[in-house]
Amino acid sequence: MKINRREFVKLSGVLGVGLAITELGFDVKKIKASTKEFKLEDSKEFTSVCTFCSVGCGMICHVKDEKLINLEGDPDHVINEGSLCSKGASMSVVPNSDQRVKTPLYRAPGSDKWQEISWDEAIDKVTKKMKEVRDENWITKDSEDGKDYPANRTEAISIVGGAQNNNEECYLLAKMARALGVTYIEHQARL
Amino acid sequence: MTNHWIDLKNAKVILIEGSNAAENHSMSMKWIMRAKENGAKVIHVDPRYTRTSKIADIYAQIRPGTDIAFLGAIINYILENKLYNEEFVRTHTNALYYTNEDFSFDNGVFSGYDEEEKKYATDSWSYQLNEEGTPIIGTSLDDPQCGFTKLKKFYSRYTFQVASDITGIPVETIKLIADTYVNAGPGTIMYALGMTQHTVGVQNIRSFGVLQLLLGNVGKPGTGINALRGEPNVQGSTDFALLFNYAPGYFNWPNSNQPTLEDWTKKNGTFRRRFFVNLLKAWFGENATPDNDFGYGWLPKKDANKNYSIYRIFETALDNTMKFMYIVGQNPMVTSPNLNLVHEGFCKLDMLVVNDLFMTETASFWEKPGVDPSEIKTEVIFLPAASFLEKEGTLTNSGRLVQWRYTGIKPVGKAKSDLEIFDLIYTKMRDLYKNSTDPKDEIFKRMTWEYPKENTSMADAVLKEINGYDLKTGKLATGISALKDDGSTSSGNWLYAGVYTEEGNHSMRTGNSDPSGLGVFPEFKWCWPGNIKIIYNRASADINGKPFDEKNKYIWWDAAEGRWTGYDIPDVGNINDGPDQPGGRKPFRMTGEGVGRLIANTYHDPDVTYEPLPRDVSSVPADGPLPEFYEPVESPTTNILHPNVAINPCLKYPRIEAKQPIGKKEDFPYVLCTSSIAEHWCAGSVTRNVPWLNELVKETYIEMPVKLADKLSVKNGDRVAVSSARGEIEVKVMVTHRIQPLQINGEEVTVVWMPYNWGYKGLSTAASTNLLTIDAGDPNTWIQETKACLVNIKKA
Repeated sequence: MKINRREFVKLSGVLGVGLAITELGFDVKKIKASTKEFKLEDSKEFTSVCTFCSVGCGMICHVKDEKLINLEGDPDHVINEGSLCSKGASMSVVPNSDQRVKTPLYRAPGSDKWQEISWDEAIDKVTKKMKEVRDENWITKDSEDGKDYPANRTEAISIVGGAQNNNEECYLLAKMARALGVTYIEHQARL
Repeated sequence: MTNHWIDLKNAKVILIEGSNAAENHSMSMKWIMRAKENGAKVIHVDPRYTRTSKIADIYAQIRPGTDIAFLGAIINYILENKLYNEEFVRTHTNALYYTNEDFSFDNGVFSGYDEEEKKYATDSWSYQLNEEGTPIIGTSLDDPQCGFTKLKKFYSRYTFQVASDITGIPVETIKLIADTYVNAGPGTIMYALGMTQHTVGVQNIRSFGVLQLLLGNVGKPGTGINALRGEPNVQGSTDFALLFNYAPGYFNWPNSNQPTLEDWTKKNGTFRRRFFVNLLKAWFGENATPDNDFGYGWLPKKDANKNYSIYRIFETALDNTMKFMYIVGQNPMVTSPNLNLVHEGFCKLDMLVVNDLFMTETASFWEKPGVDPSEIKTEVIFLPAASFLEKEGTLTNSGRLVQWRYTGIKPVGKAKSDLEIFDLIYTKMRDLYKNSTDPKDEIFKRMTWEYPKENTSMADAVLKEINGYDLKTGKLATGISALKDDGSTSSGNWLYAGVYTEEGNHSMRTGNSDPSGLGVFPEFKWCWPGNIKIIYNRASADINGKPFDEKNKYIWWDAAEGRWTGYDIPDVGNINDGPDQPGGRKPFRMTGEGVGRLIANTYHDPDVTYEPLPRDVSSVPADGPLPEFYEPVESPTTNILHPNVAINPCLKYPRIEAKQPIGKKEDFPYVLCTSSIAEHWCAGSVTRNVPWLNELVKETYIEMPVKLADKLSVKNGDRVAVSSARGEIEVKVMVTHRIQPLQINGEEVTVVWMPYNWGYKGLSTAASTNLLTIDAGDPNTWIQETKACLVNIKKA
């Protein structure tokens, strides 16, 4: 049977305590490893890819009671072979942080505070204003050397983002921007 | 990257320039150290001695913005001493191609320069053509008509002494680097934003191209030009064209003076038209037909004379043209240069909408310390987004590897994935326009947009649309070669054709076997194009399809089997076309000539099938067919090569005189270079909300040489006021030996350095360095010169 490194770690975790005492003697490293396995017992696992630089390091995440309880480098990932940098290794904080914004927010003109709003309200406000700006600032034609050409665009709406997005999100954002007639479409690549 | 991360281990010499890979791409070090264990030498060229310099065999401190002079001297040394790979240069580059007799370079400008417009007419940068319209090719590298002779003449000015005077690197160090790089091989180059954030960014990278082509360091393991990209999916977001000037898959976005697809094809070629037709089929489905130009008319068209880059977004807000801005996962109130202008732009908008995880300086620009919110009339809406761990989909790393991210947790609170948010906005807009008969709204009735509403199924459906379909059978397209130009296939991005076939979603593959031992891992995820790990790998073989270097062979022609074979997918037009056939001859099949361009000549490749339309139209840099050294806009010295053309002659700056002042060395005597650190990342929107990382580095600072600290009478931890022509901030001092004063043109020049990761929101707050930096940009990419501006420093 060909087993990969992760399966080996799991197997040795399950068998760890018995093996350590009877066959291998007391090995502090093995005891430590088995303690970690206990913490992850009954947890579900999923893999992800780090969200900082563009090396694309693999991560393993452990979930228990719908909560992310552990995140570490994926030893079977051929690029990072289990390692993560200081930033990547700290990412389990993100889904558990109290600093995350958890509901849509609205800041009225001239106001000095945010107010919580529903998604329906938020999408209504965004699309209503977007439509108003698009309709009032539509360019139908450009003229060059005495000739008119269809322009079909608005220069009053800009869409910016994002190198943090997944490919599918980038694709849909570009598709939506062009449907709206937007030519000011940009993101971090120039930064 | 032409190659990929693991491939770094195959190099025998690695030049890292304009990158602190150890801190900003830490895991690359795993493979660099593997190369070192196998005897590779590492050269690091950077303005500051960093953790990357520490593992280098040779370190050279370079003045920010002078890389072209440094690389020019190495290229000149190679040319003068005939150290180039002659066979490669003759057969795989345009060295022997006859260049237009009118081509010239005098007093800092190339032929065709229009001083008033600050623009080149590129006619004289072309080849001399024969009757069939293809280039005349000579036989001798000494032929005065051929490009190689022009190249030698151009570079002859770049002596070691000239380069040393400009860069501050001692002559003997430049020579040592040149000898080390030329004599060991294969050699690879790694670079990051240290090379691109300049007003000569594109030409910096062109210098790498010339160097690698001369040495034949292309298409083989351990070679290439490798961009260490700065964001997790900036490769993908550029592939998918979140940029104004092109469409998904890197073909030009249409201008209004190209009213039909044929007009567009005249300027862009039939080769790319095929990909455009597939995009239109993906976007408009059955509504795209040959009779209606596949829906080309519904697309918005740019004004050919306008620049729609991010800087213009803020600048057009100042004159009330820009009203509405939608920002997704980006924090320009920290990361954009000349932040005072950016803030003013935000204040003029009608509405700002931001998707993000944490509260950012951008979304709360109206809370900036010192401003009165009651005077800011902009409506702001913050949409809470799911983090990368709370949603599914793919991202693409620097080595073009497309990887699926899974999830097992729900978004926090009421947060939603960006994918779901875009779907909500688009479908609502479509709904608002459903009764409209205005032609401008027709596109909402024609565009395909029906996706499952749940995040994972939606991502799956969108990836299939990106891959594309054979529309006759309804099956997923098998790859790029399956895409047709007649509307019978679709693909949302031709580069990704093959990522998701009837066999399954290849971005999920986990096969970990590496048969060649070269780190190819052909069944681990999938990379574009067509799972080719090293692009241009046809160039690893000679004109007859035989490996140049038997010990480092990669791809070759197997005459017995009648096909190209090797350790990777062969990067050829047709796998069964022999080295003497059109589909197997070209080492660089993406160029019309099929060879590497030492000189970036303009060329229309004729298409025999679609005459008179061109097959390919070469894209050339706006600022010259060869990389010439120009000083940064804010420079501490004169340009000794051509004092009257000191800066890039194609640069239009300031764009708004009152808001974009240029500092002089008399008032601002020190050179400021900025970058990121291992513990914080970009705007710090995420990392400054992670307590562990804040414990490691809790605030911003300025690194300065001991000599300057002595002069200012400051020590570690003291506060100083740092000012530029654009702003002033107060920060703590770190006195360092990692930067030394440089000797430039006979005078001492002092460089200082700051991280740019801070702002006034999050758990760790400090002044933003970008209040100081300059927003002058490269004339090709409009990337700003954040690596070199002038500042003054006073004890606070």
